[in-house]
Amino acid sequence: MALRGLILSTNSRTILQEKLASFIPNVNSQFVRYRRTKHWDPKWKQLRRLKVFKIDLPNFREKNSDLTEEQIRQRLKENGLLPPRPWQEQQVSISSTGQVFEPYIPPEGDGKISPITTQGAKQNLQYLEKKGKTMLSVRKIRQYEEEFDAATFCKEATQIYIKTHELMAKNDPDIIKYVTERAYPEIIHNTNNKTINWQYIKDIEMPRIVHARHTNVITRDNIFAQVTVRFHTKQILAIYDRFGRLMHGSQILAKDVLEYVVFEKHMSNQYGIWRVHDKIVPDWLPPKEPSRKTHYMIADATRVDNKVETVS
Amino acid sequence: MPLNCALKCVPKFCRPLFQQNLASCIAIKPLFFQKTLFHSSPCLEAWKNKSNEPTKWLEYNNKIYPPQKPDEEPRPAFICHQRANIKYSPWKMWYIACLVRGMPVDEAIKQLKFIPKKGAKDVREVIEEAKELAVKEHNVEFASNMWVAESFVGKGKVIKGMRRHGRGRFGVIEYFHCHYFLRLEEGKPPKHYYYNHPKQPHEMLEAWLEQMRKRKIINSL
Repeated sequence: MALRGLILSTNSRTILQEKLASFIPNVNSQFVRYRRTKHWDPKWKQLRRLKVFKIDLPNFREKNSDLTEEQIRQRLKENGLLPPRPWQEQQVSISSTGQVFEPYIPPEGDGKISPITTQGAKQNLQYLEKKGKTMLSVRKIRQYEEEFDAATFCKEATQIYIKTHELMAKNDPDIIKYVTERAYPEIIHNTNNKTINWQYIKDIEMPRIVHARHTNVITRDNIFAQVTVRFHTKQILAIYDRFGRLMHGSQILAKDVLEYVVFEKHMSNQYGIWRVHDKIVPDWLPPKEPSRKTHYMIADATRVDNKVETVS
Repeated sequence: MPLNCALKCVPKFCRPLFQQNLASCIAIKPLFFQKTLFHSSPCLEAWKNKSNEPTKWLEYNNKIYPPQKPDEEPRPAFICHQRANIKYSPWKMWYIACLVRGMPVDEAIKQLKFIPKKGAKDVREVIEEAKELAVKEHNVEFASNMWVAESFVGKGKVIKGMRRHGRGRFGVIEYFHCHYFLRLEEGKPPKHYYYNHPKQPHEMLEAWLEQMRKRKIINSL
């Protein structure tokens, strides 16, 4: 406004206007006072301002994470509050271990190399060693659980395995009776807001114990046992998103699944139970294709002949 | 003298609110209060656990729909999002909220960039946040393939201030905040968002014919 007024007051008005026409917005060059309720003399401005009490409006959009430590300290001081007590305790679960000790390595292919070669001989030796350790552990388990028997345990393990998956699909907090604290976050990961349809159809092969280990934690008597069971089963899996649209799998297609599941029990605990601890995924297994997020048909037949294109 | 009094009064007047906000910010329970607020603890208890933000709108995001059959039309995804207590007048925000209704998201964002109003920035940010969340959490394929299905405003916190009037009187100034609510839906927007849209000539003719046929002729058979 001021610039425009200045320009208009000069004599060379037309020339300047032409030159600066593109820079000056087309506004009213006449100064008009629209507001009549305000005194024209600016000397009252200060007093008008004093009429309103300045208050500090709380910032509702402020987040705790945006404040620096210094700012928090300042706020607390302003308000005469004591700083929060440092809370450094951490929850530690002692009813399960944090990892699988000496995990079972599933054999690739038939898993056998000719015993005549050095590699084959070595493998045989390792196999024997591992089998010996497994037998030792089973003996250890029998010390605490006298009626432990491979066949009955496998039946029990199947029940736990089925129950785990069913409760996971239902999003039931009771699942903690069937899985250890280590496995729990892995199992419930990504199940939020989804409908999971899981069905166990049948065993293709009978489940069997392939591996058993035990270890003591802190004291010598505090023993945890881990048993790896091989399941070869037929299952159905279909995962639907929040809106009931199929995300992964199929409701009508049954698939063969080979899995090595680790079960763990706190042997020293009188009320200890066998729970799912982990699933063994061998390193040599090729990575699985992730569920397709988007696919759409291109309608234009001239460009691509009815091809399903995937866009991630 | 009354002037002095009022000046002193003001900070205290706002203090409980501010304290409550801070306490919720850093998630602790204040251990001590000042003596001047000696009797304020019951009122503070009443304030406790009461969120300043509306909670019901976001509950719609947790609704899980039953699985669909393969031959069914896929249910369009939607996402509800909100921003609470924006320092802006709810009445002014209404115009901006109305503007974006029934627009494709990208178009809405583009339009809002040209609105020289304070609230337009917040609305734009909410739409952008919702777009991002839709892809991240709600299994939406393309963020741009969405439209603004619902967009409305709610009244937020009102903080009262004071203003001096003549002859020792005073007035109350209300500092308004507003909530902005948004629902994005997957797919193309409908041709007309509102039911009362301007009709095409042939539609008008049909309506007129219908009206004429329905009329009652008095003293006829």
